[in-house]
Amino acid sequence: MNPPRLRLFAPALLAILLASMVLAVTLGPADIAPMEVWQTIGHRLGLVAESPVGRLREAIIWELRLPRVLVAAAMGAGLALCGAVLQALTRNPLADPYLLGLSSGASLGAVIFLLLGATLLMPLGAFLGAGAAMALTLLVTQLLGGVTPSRAILAGISISALAAAGTSLLIFWSVTADSYREILSWLMGSLGGVVWGEALPVLAGVAVLGGLLLVSGRALDAFAFGETAAASLGVDVARLRWLLLGGTALLTGVLVSIGGAIGFVGLVVPHIVRLVTGSRHRLLLPVSMLAGAIFMVWTDTAARSLFAPRELPVGILTALLGAPIFLLVLFRYRRIT
Amino acid sequence: MSAGLEISEMSVRAGGKMLLDGVGLMAARGLVTGLIGPNGAGKSTLMRASLGLMPVSGGRVRFNGADLLAMPGRDRARLAAFVEQSGGTDARLTARDVVLLGRIPFQSLWQSGPSPEDERIAGEALDAVAMRGFADRLYHTLSGGEQQRVQIARALAQQPQLLVLDEPTNHLDIHAQLATLTLLRRLAAEGATVVVALHDLNLAAGFCDHLVVLNAARLVAAGPPETVLSPALLREIYEVEAVVLAHPQTGRPMLAYGPPTISAAPPQ
Amino acid sequence: MRPLPHFLCLSLLLTAPALAQTEYPLTLDNCGVTLSLPAAPERVVAIRSTSTEMLLALGLGERIVGVAFQDGLAAEPWTAQSAVLPVLAEKLPSPEVVLEAEPDLIYAGWESNFSLEGVGERATLGALGVATYVSPAACRSIVPPKLSFDAVFAEIAEVGALFDAGDAARALIAAQQAALAGIAPDPRGLTALWYSSGTKAPYVGAGRNAPQMMLEALGLENIFAGVDDGWISASWEAVVDADPDVIVLVDGERNSVAQKKALLAENPITSQLDAVIHQRYLVIPFAAAEAGVRNVPATRDMAAQLAGLSFTP
Repeated sequence: MNPPRLRLFAPALLAILLASMVLAVTLGPADIAPMEVWQTIGHRLGLVAESPVGRLREAIIWELRLPRVLVAAAMGAGLALCGAVLQALTRNPLADPYLLGLSSGASLGAVIFLLLGATLLMPLGAFLGAGAAMALTLLVTQLLGGVTPSRAILAGISISALAAAGTSLLIFWSVTADSYREILSWLMGSLGGVVWGEALPVLAGVAVLGGLLLVSGRALDAFAFGETAAASLGVDVARLRWLLLGGTALLTGVLVSIGGAIGFVGLVVPHIVRLVTGSRHRLLLPVSMLAGAIFMVWTDTAARSLFAPRELPVGILTALLGAPIFLLVLFRYRRIT
Repeated sequence: MSAGLEISEMSVRAGGKMLLDGVGLMAARGLVTGLIGPNGAGKSTLMRASLGLMPVSGGRVRFNGADLLAMPGRDRARLAAFVEQSGGTDARLTARDVVLLGRIPFQSLWQSGPSPEDERIAGEALDAVAMRGFADRLYHTLSGGEQQRVQIARALAQQPQLLVLDEPTNHLDIHAQLATLTLLRRLAAEGATVVVALHDLNLAAGFCDHLVVLNAARLVAAGPPETVLSPALLREIYEVEAVVLAHPQTGRPMLAYGPPTISAAPPQ
Repeated sequence: MRPLPHFLCLSLLLTAPALAQTEYPLTLDNCGVTLSLPAAPERVVAIRSTSTEMLLALGLGERIVGVAFQDGLAAEPWTAQSAVLPVLAEKLPSPEVVLEAEPDLIYAGWESNFSLEGVGERATLGALGVATYVSPAACRSIVPPKLSFDAVFAEIAEVGALFDAGDAARALIAAQQAALAGIAPDPRGLTALWYSSGTKAPYVGAGRNAPQMMLEALGLENIFAGVDDGWISASWEAVVDADPDVIVLVDGERNSVAQKKALLAENPITSQLDAVIHQRYLVIPFAAAEAGVRNVPATRDMAAQLAGLSFTP
């Protein structure tokens, strides 16, 4: 793609994202006409005088669908951003947001809280678990001789395995049939029942941390030829590494605590975007966020509407859809690879 | 205060080994200083250490009077550019993108993209290495020699006063080798300080104003090529027999090698 | 099991009280496996409370040599009896532990209890001389027809036949039928949600198993009656859209009624339901929520609760 078309890419994706969200909020098990949905939202925002639907339907639209669609977009954006940043930082195409043991730690934290009976506090447990796992990973990395990308990856793999084993053990030992179902949908990743109380931290996290990562991420271009080259270009490699690792870990922790371990998005969306836009991070990072957001909005809408009144954990769909899409894009751009 | 790069008592220790042992050199402004020596002598280490790209155990580095190691990395990057040997990447960048990396030390955090000034400078850098036509080609599709030239262009985009290159002629054909070294001489003539590590002693002899010889982490000799490249030095350091001639046109030293002095038996 | 043998069994027991004796060897088909008993089982291992209670209700408590995966003690009047039963495991015991109790029959409440990760596969146990029986309503490999009280009574009759306890079975069935007949379906045409578990996505009773059976007897329309499954993972949106008049809360050990009420009241969307605002709840203990001898008493209990609910705004 030549530069002039590339420059239109981001605004075009933004328009698609907004249109997707406007459309997604009208879809769901409850049969509400699109016009009524938009009017209700307008009414809640003080733009429309009267609500066209009853109290319950208004609650469905405003308390369930709207926060959920927003969280889906934010989650997709955040995961894709973290994946892209980590892939550049570690110069490893297989890096994903859960690299530092984050999702395994979060799963363990969530299971512990679930088994203690604090089901409603599972997000907190997940966040604490993610934090603990990351701290352990960084500790191990330091003990191995200092934080370098390859050491961080190896430490992350081992801490992940440890946390996963702990989770499996707890599940086997203590989980009854119904709580097993809850855990399973959390492990696969699900946005079920997301309300404003959970949506706001996610949106704030993506806005603040995402912004931070976007800005510092520009220096990631310098890493294209390794850390020595980046240092020779005046990049403070150590500080940037900590900033980016910390920022992605924190953001991923927030996302995982609400949505569980939604897989694939953080790993493959950056690759797909890279095939189209190239590796310049000033473009890759924001476009990855937009592409990830669009992808999640649609897969989550499918997860909650396709088999109504049943609800599927969205992680199943991201995995099912993700791989074929990736193959398709690879094939389309095979002349380039 | 002398203009140019002044390294004194540089020592680098890693993993229990001395990679550099009290090495010093003086690379004057306006001259091309060649860094030569056998493999493993410490040339790469010296270049990296003097640019703050690796930890040092001791020593000082001054450039145009300023302490190069004490200044912030960004300021240093505006003064000095470094060209590495291997330029491999998985990133999907065009040649122009790679050259534009050289403008990073000049770009503010809030800049949304390269400025027109950045693009102009990048274009000029590509012209200098005769790679303008390759600007929109993807870097990883270029040959080794073309990639090398793009790397040099990237360094030029930094508009450096100090240019340090680690064996930049390795993958180049003869024409490109000579063109690159001619470019370096021109840059030096325009006021830059150029330090270049070279494998080929004839190129070193033909294009460098000043030579610094390293062997086994130590400084062995320094001076103009005529003085440094003696048959005695070549015998001791490189273990080869050579006759030093004068180039018919330029008058610069030229080496004609005899057979190596080591036995033909395989190494133990 | 096909309905015909059920019917035959039942009518046999009802019309010929003198033939309450079982003839051995007894062969019958249970969830795709042929069961062959040379004599009445003397040593039974019961897995899950529904199995234990069935045996206790038929007066077969002495023959229980071990229980596993129970949901607490049995209901009255068998609570004291169940307290002294040997517990093999909190969850599923390994095959070794089960075989150590030397059972001649293992009676399981779920088909999945008989697996390599559970007490062992049915064929393997059969080859070792241990007969295995799965509660027909819990059969998954062969999907049973929609659960009805007749099917529950047929299981009582079948278990009675297995143990040569035909008299006890007949008496129990008669008592339960009478009790069931005494339940008048609520005439108010109310809709109901059967909320079993789940926080992010509610696990609810759908149209094919015990929840539907009991709701129908109560005269309540299950909002998920149209879904052809026992239980499904639904969405809160579908629940709120259906706006059920009454919510049945299953009281589980980990997921108690108190927790469910708190969740419903605190959730910004369910808290808007009339049923939640006015606390129109029916409570059923977890152990009574699957096919077993407790369904009828639990339905009676819920009918009484339902009669006590007021719907004046």
